[in-house]
Amino acid sequence: MSRDQAKPTLLTALTQFPGNVWKSIFRNPIPSNDLERSSTSFTNFFLHIHPVKVHKNSLRPAYTLGLGLVSFFLFVLLILTGILLMFYYVPSTSQAYDRMLDLRGSVAFGTILRNMHRWSAHAMVAVVIMHLCRVFFTGSYKKPREFNWVVGVALFGLTLLMSFTGYLLPWDQLAFWAITVGTAIAGYAPVIGKDIQFLLMGGSSVGQEALLRFYVLHVAVLPAVLILMIAIHFWRIRKDGGLSRPADADPTPTMDMMGTMTDPKPVLLSPRKTYGVQGLVRGPLTKVNNIPDNTVYSWPNLFIAELFVFVMTLAVILVLALLFNAPLEEPVNVMHPPNPAKAPWYFLGLQEMVSYSAFWGGIGVPGIFMALLLLTPYLDRSPKGVGKWFSKDRLLANTIFLTFLVANVIFVIIGTFFRGPNWAFVTPW
Amino acid sequence: MAVNLKRTSGGGTVEVSRRRMLGWITGAGLVGSGVLSAISNFVFIKPRATYGAPQRFSIGKPDGFPPGTRITLETRRICILREGNKLAAVSTTCTHLGCIVGLSDTGFACPCHGSRFDQDGNVIGGPAPRALPWFKTTLAPNGEIEVDKDIEVAPGSYLTL
Repeated sequence: MSRDQAKPTLLTALTQFPGNVWKSIFRNPIPSNDLERSSTSFTNFFLHIHPVKVHKNSLRPAYTLGLGLVSFFLFVLLILTGILLMFYYVPSTSQAYDRMLDLRGSVAFGTILRNMHRWSAHAMVAVVIMHLCRVFFTGSYKKPREFNWVVGVALFGLTLLMSFTGYLLPWDQLAFWAITVGTAIAGYAPVIGKDIQFLLMGGSSVGQEALLRFYVLHVAVLPAVLILMIAIHFWRIRKDGGLSRPADADPTPTMDMMGTMTDPKPVLLSPRKTYGVQGLVRGPLTKVNNIPDNTVYSWPNLFIAELFVFVMTLAVILVLALLFNAPLEEPVNVMHPPNPAKAPWYFLGLQEMVSYSAFWGGIGVPGIFMALLLLTPYLDRSPKGVGKWFSKDRLLANTIFLTFLVANVIFVIIGTFFRGPNWAFVTPW
Repeated sequence: MAVNLKRTSGGGTVEVSRRRMLGWITGAGLVGSGVLSAISNFVFIKPRATYGAPQRFSIGKPDGFPPGTRITLETRRICILREGNKLAAVSTTCTHLGCIVGLSDTGFACPCHGSRFDQDGNVIGGPAPRALPWFKTTLAPNGEIEVDKDIEVAPGSYLTL
């Protein structure tokens, strides 16, 4: 203490030098006690979105599977690799494809960056879908998390749009025809379909204007909306009381430090007694000293888990990017669609349905599906079955969802493996 | 003192305080600006001029299309049908989702979703909702054939040479 209060001289300033900069940034030392653990959680900008303490059951890997985190980390990877790719990409029909070849041929780390971006994008679509399934099958959309489910469904739609707009940018055959088909599907929407199609393409066919529009949507508009929605999604997790979680085991009587048995059941508030705020927040029962504390400090329990998920995500994407090259087809030939012309895998179910009826396959059924998804928490009002995978209380809801899911997967599989030239049915063996 | 506007409604008078009045004006201004900016953004992103190949063009003299042939002009996305001294231009853009149909034995076939059309462009299979449109063809004074893709004609309306 006395040294701190000594008259500051240049010499003392120098002797404290790197340390005082560090202290000015991170106000806390590496935590060694509970006070510092809480302090670190809420004084660090990047950590303060987390609660200081987190329920043990929220941390069970088998319950959440870490899918939301993986989606977010993939999005971070996509932003980082995407910004780097922007340094070498030109959204012009005459240059875009050549720039793809440059990335592969002459740009340092160009191939691996493009591979990482492509595989992260595919992975993000897949993981976001799995996250949606996890939240549904554990009933986590129920009160009070209804609105966060709606935000999540919007994020799912935005993820697909990001992927769809990014698909055109390499300006190869696959890109051109997938987008020709995709925008034509939008054209089947009632009343405003043709206008949407025209606005998306900036003209009557996919060309320079469409490429520029998709580029702006892909690198500016959609990421901005997505980041905002992710922020709301995360904020709502806190405001809705943390993640849904498996119920606590029945509280058992515990012996406190004084050696007296305490009744673990909450007791009714007595007007003559004073209580701590923590005991009062949940209604007319007090939990002060009565309920076993099932929370642990976020530092290090939550943060180490998040770091682990991030490292695993990065490792998987890196391995994929090193092993497999992102496909690049022939340059665009506006006169010859490849035969068969296939959309990316997650749209192949849509394409398969579209091959039966453009309106019902492309707009009707997906529209109904999205509407059902959005309305799910408002239609299913029963509070039962939250925090448990495939709860028996939710048999009906889970069965309906599973039916839609399996139908979609079947359509994707048919579209991927069983459709050949002229979209005729073929067997892959 | 606050200036009070007096508003009559249904016989009685209702006093509107300055604060409430300002509130209404501000609210109307905000909503108005929102609506106006939405409309102007919409107008902005809807291109007034589009760039691309002209919709009306010459395809050369009739000699280039011998009787009894179907010749596709890939860059124009049309197919020229010639039967005897009659000639017509049929679109090769699939009416389903905009792929380019190719010539097949029975007419046209689309590689994207399997739509099939007969020689005149009528749907004979697949998801296409309507027949391939026919475009207006005229004989220009210099003896060349002009196609106008902005004007559709009824299927079967040939240009007699």
